[in-house]
Amino acid sequence: MEDLLNFAKGPLFRFSFAVMLLGLLRLFVLSLINGFEAKKKAPDKSIPKGYVRKLTWGYLFPIRAFRTKPIYSLVSIIFHIGFILTPLLLYSHALLFSESIGFSWMGISLSKPVADNLALITIFAGIILLLLRLTSKITRSISRKQDYLWLLLLVVPFITGYVCSAVVTEPATYKTFLTIHVLSGDFIFIFMPFTKIAHCILLPLSQWVTARSWKFVPEAGENIEKILGKEGQKL
Amino acid sequence: MERINKFKLVLWIILGIALAAGITRFIFGLGATTNLSDTTPWGFWIGFDVMGGVALAAGGFVIAAFNYIFGRKEFHSISRAAILTAFLGYVAVVIGLLFDLGLPWNIWHMIIFWNPHSPLFEVGWCVMLYLTVLFLEFMPVVLERFPNLHLLSKIHKVLTKIRIPLVVLGIMLSTLHQSSLGSLFLTMPYRLHPLWWSPILPVIFFVSAICLGLMMVIVENMTSSYLYKREFEENILGKLSRIAVYLLLFYLVLRFGDIIIRGAGIFLFQASWGTYLFWLELALTVFIPLIIFIIPKLRKQPNFLYLGALSGVFGIVLNRLNVGGLTHLTNLTKSGSFYFPSWLELSISAGVVSLAMLAFFYFIENYSVWDEKPKDIDSEPLTVPKFNTNYVYLGPTKTANRVKFSFAFVIAFGLAFALISGKHIYSKGFDKTPVYKARGGDTLLIDGNRNGYGVMFPHKFHGDSIKIACGKCHHLNKPKDKNTQCFECHNDMYLTGDAFRHDWHTSAQGANLNCFECHKHNVNKGEEFRGNMAAITKLCLKCHNDLFPADVKVKILKTYVTLSYTDAMHKLCINCHKERLAADSLLRKSKPGLALCSNCHPKPAQYSAEHKLFTKQNVNKWVVVPPRLK
Amino acid sequence: MKAILTDITKCIGCTQCVSACKVINKLPPDKPREWQKNDGLSARNWTSVLFKDEYYVRKQCRHCIEPACAAACPVGALHKTDFGAVIYDSNKCLGCRYCMMACPYGIPRYDWDSAVPYVRKCIMCYENINNGVIDQPACTKACPTGATIFGEREDLLIEARKRIKNEPDKYLDTIYGEKEAGGTNVLYLTSKDCPLDFLFYYNNRIEKGVKLLGEPAFNQPYPPLTKKAMNSVPFAFVGMGAVMSGLYWIVKRRQKLEKENKGAEDGKNQ
Repeated sequence: MEDLLNFAKGPLFRFSFAVMLLGLLRLFVLSLINGFEAKKKAPDKSIPKGYVRKLTWGYLFPIRAFRTKPIYSLVSIIFHIGFILTPLLLYSHALLFSESIGFSWMGISLSKPVADNLALITIFAGIILLLLRLTSKITRSISRKQDYLWLLLLVVPFITGYVCSAVVTEPATYKTFLTIHVLSGDFIFIFMPFTKIAHCILLPLSQWVTARSWKFVPEAGENIEKILGKEGQKL
Repeated sequence: MERINKFKLVLWIILGIALAAGITRFIFGLGATTNLSDTTPWGFWIGFDVMGGVALAAGGFVIAAFNYIFGRKEFHSISRAAILTAFLGYVAVVIGLLFDLGLPWNIWHMIIFWNPHSPLFEVGWCVMLYLTVLFLEFMPVVLERFPNLHLLSKIHKVLTKIRIPLVVLGIMLSTLHQSSLGSLFLTMPYRLHPLWWSPILPVIFFVSAICLGLMMVIVENMTSSYLYKREFEENILGKLSRIAVYLLLFYLVLRFGDIIIRGAGIFLFQASWGTYLFWLELALTVFIPLIIFIIPKLRKQPNFLYLGALSGVFGIVLNRLNVGGLTHLTNLTKSGSFYFPSWLELSISAGVVSLAMLAFFYFIENYSVWDEKPKDIDSEPLTVPKFNTNYVYLGPTKTANRVKFSFAFVIAFGLAFALISGKHIYSKGFDKTPVYKARGGDTLLIDGNRNGYGVMFPHKFHGDSIKIACGKCHHLNKPKDKNTQCFECHNDMYLTGDAFRHDWHTSAQGANLNCFECHKHNVNKGEEFRGNMAAITKLCLKCHNDLFPADVKVKILKTYVTLSYTDAMHKLCINCHKERLAADSLLRKSKPGLALCSNCHPKPAQYSAEHKLFTKQNVNKWVVVPPRLK
Repeated sequence: MKAILTDITKCIGCTQCVSACKVINKLPPDKPREWQKNDGLSARNWTSVLFKDEYYVRKQCRHCIEPACAAACPVGALHKTDFGAVIYDSNKCLGCRYCMMACPYGIPRYDWDSAVPYVRKCIMCYENINNGVIDQPACTKACPTGATIFGEREDLLIEARKRIKNEPDKYLDTIYGEKEAGGTNVLYLTSKDCPLDFLFYYNNRIEKGVKLLGEPAFNQPYPPLTKKAMNSVPFAFVGMGAVMSGLYWIVKRRQKLEKENKGAEDGKNQ
């Protein structure tokens, strides 16, 4: 267990951190290239600024969605805030960074009770999100198996972290939970650039690329019909 | 996947590893990441990246000379690729050099601070100028893609007009720095093996660079043709190989003539590492290529032609490595430690080479470097999208490649970054495990098992509120702690003032001894250390059995360890002071502070900070003489 | 020019010079590292005392009269002063380490630990003496037995000859550094049974005793070896340019003539 923990904290953590950083950067660059290539093919060369801004802000601050799906939006926002703030501003994590990578932000860390409560809130928000996803027919139909899995994986480090910091004192159990905590954190880092968690960096870009590449010329449909040789036929 | 794509994938992986290694090199410095040392200050990066790289790029000026000066127009079809190789080769040289230099951000100093007598100065200038010339020579290939842009086409016109002067200038500059790389080693006849050191080293370097240039063009052409599945220019390469025959023969005569005239012939048939390297080098450089190039039956088979040229390339690169470090005195004799590059050095070199190769492929694919462009890999997708849930369609080949290569790059970087352990690479000396010094701070990080992750410990609280004596934790814990180096407590053990030199005995270049080869293991428990040295420390005589001549009568003293100078000095003065103070009651009244430390060390804090031995008494009157044994 | 004379027979190996050097140059304590040589010198130890056949030999930079390191440095970071010392300007240095390769005594050391490394070696306390902090190098000042002394080079040579003359049985009849490598500003007097040839890198060559053509003699300075090659650089440059232009002209002319001949022949045939 000790070895596994050290491995998870040492080489695996460095690997996952490097993969996350560089992987997100890679996604960023790749989608930029995709966007410019889409521009090359698109008949309308103007940048759909307003559209992209509207969509992106819509996702970031879903004010409009409050009207249609109030519970979902609220829980989602809480989940996101907790998910970003708790791990980033935890003192122990700042310590981990300063020890293994060399820079840190220990000055602005959260106090322990705040962090603990925030973690609890995040866990509940995550569970509610999962339940909402399971209960709603629409979301269930567009969810793949892994979509549930990612959500669970995201919640695991919060549960184990909370257990470590507030529940257990017995060393053996503590270590077990800590190992699971660190391992799941590493896996989140590794999977982040390759799964839908990557929306953290892709959010504005994907809107941009989509807006560019899916903007058809007027009468595009008729042209396709012409090319296919099915002009005038019934659809 | 096509050949070229597989190859590019490998290059991207190497590049990822090299990026991780390169970052480490710049953060932790040269000592931690390379195997360079005071005995071998130049290593693989100079031997291969710089000297090998410059030699490998010689094809540019050789082919340019044949094509433009000697009027051999048949070489025109390969001249662009040769110039491109040379240009990228020089860029790679400069990038490699940036890793090797201790202060790479000062590389521009060569432009303003001049020392014209230094060969390195001349090499630096020539490489800078030649890089510019090569850039101008290659520019038309890039510019001709934009015939509509007015300014660019104008530049293109100018460049094509001044092409001949540029080529001549390129040849002049190449002559200079190819040979000056040899002049670098003229000043160190004491370092190089006599089979390599020669007053005509510059000439040897120049001639071998031309040979290498010809053979490198063959290798480069055949390799890229193989990768892109195109017909290579068999006629031209055959002609090149015939020219190479004469040059190689000339090189052979030059090399042996030089060795025999200098009188170094006696080293040709020794059973030594240097001689083996020499014959290996010559076999690769001259004998194998000559046999293949002379016999027409072999020469006409592409495989053999390739083998011959490749062997020549390896041979001359080996020559550069030999001159650059392999055959130096420090490597061949016991007077220095054997140098072999660390994997970080090798991976950075490999990364620089793959970067140059990737750039080469980029230019080949996007500009008309060859007479015919390789077919656009974007035009016909190799895999048609199938709407199958288990199959991920990454797009047409170009897009798919982009995705795959960058993925491989990221994973390779991550793996290499994980393997290069930041903490342990930091120092190869004795302070491998840093201890967080307490110094009475409020809150400390205690790193109990020294894995780099500390635990908060309220230090002041333990001392002030719970009233635990310092010694309870500190002095008792240390000896049991196996990870703490001895000098953490015995901080005087490496001082130069001691008669016994701990550093010589423990360092890798010295006796390379473990502590417990001289000290008994119970030292670890701190038992009876003071006053009973003989019981736990081995006598010097046990190892140095030739310390005393055989005919001498030896009386072993009870305390055979010499005092450190600090201790000796203290005993000389303060013991006497103490005795007088104890004996003389009058003195006790008139000078009560006679035996205080502050008499000699008025400011102890300043003393420890500035390493000043005495602030009051500047003149050191006392000298402790180690007993002469005769 | 100032110089240092070290008399091996007088040295008692107290290493006071080493300590004094460390104090005046504010050098941090040294630890044995993988990249150090085993002669005690390092980036943090600019002088050291070797133990050799019952004698103590102090090792330091020789401050050659024609220093190979200064000739090698591409930016002139190392240079010889009129004072006699070979000093180092860390603001110019770019870290190529050619000086370390070129030194025939293997003296300059590198800050391998540091991410911003410099070359380190004895500078004969040049700056401190110039600023008037001390009147002679710290090492000679600290020496309790007068084994290592400081003065004008000529005076020290006379002093050394006098010592040899007075005690011919004791001293070896050579002043190391008088002519060696073109003369150095650190001179050594030694006992008959302790020749100091081992200090000179040149003498550690593999083929000791074999004299090869073209190699410098024992007493020859090193910079001229490269200077010869460097002096031929302009000639090679201009010569190569002339040859290439000439060839180009000839080839062009021949091609032109061939074309004309062909044209004329074609004309005849018609």
